[in-house]
Amino acid sequence: MTAPRTLTLHNRLSELERLAHEVTAFGQAQRLPEPVSQALNLALDEIVTNIISYGYDDQADHQISLRLSLQAGEVTVEVEDDARPFNPLEAPPPDLTAPLEERSEGGLGIHLARTVMDGLEYRRQNGKNYLVMRKRVSG
Amino acid sequence: MDIAEQKKGSVVVLALKGRLDAATSGKLEETLLGLIERGERKLALSFNHVDYISSAGLRVLLVAAKRLKPLNGKIALYSLNPQVREVFEIAGFTTIFPISAAEEDALRSFQKS
Repeated sequence: MTAPRTLTLHNRLSELERLAHEVTAFGQAQRLPEPVSQALNLALDEIVTNIISYGYDDQADHQISLRLSLQAGEVTVEVEDDARPFNPLEAPPPDLTAPLEERSEGGLGIHLARTVMDGLEYRRQNGKNYLVMRKRVSG
Repeated sequence: MDIAEQKKGSVVVLALKGRLDAATSGKLEETLLGLIERGERKLALSFNHVDYISSAGLRVLLVAAKRLKPLNGKIALYSLNPQVREVFEIAGFTTIFPISAAEEDALRSFQKS
């Protein structure tokens, strides 16, 4: 196992660009196949966007900690934040067959993250959200 | 996100460039809703230079398409790269948006309806 890559983001949407750069750099350093790197980018973008957009009741600065690692052909992404409790595994799936006028504008991000990743685990502990996402590197 | 606007007959063609995420999709939302406000009803969006879209970008397209529907308007998309197209597919958006390979096909899709 190579050294994990850690990253701390502030709760501002302008951080998304830095997140994308870091995830792409991790993918290149680990020589991940492009589809794996893209899945990590999308899932992390969606999760972090959700935290920043809906997670906080105050206007204060908050930190979101990320850790990416590759071990035994599997990428593990850990996200730790002090936002309000939110378990993405309990989010209802959006209706993907409804006609245009009945489509919901919510829930798509979590659906995308869950679909492109191979597994999610969530726990709330000591006033923090801990989300672990896994993605197998095909082979 | 850079947006270049061009009128072709009754269709407004928007060439998008850059990432469409939560930080950048506000600009597209403003543009689309502004065009609808101005009376435009046929919008064709080129994704040729969009290398990334998240649910925030999808949401903006949905909001604009929903607003156009009762006005008999439509949004057509074209030149999506495979990664962007996959996001549309996972979100079930390929059944609610006409998606074409090239601009001429997108323009033609407005004549049919």
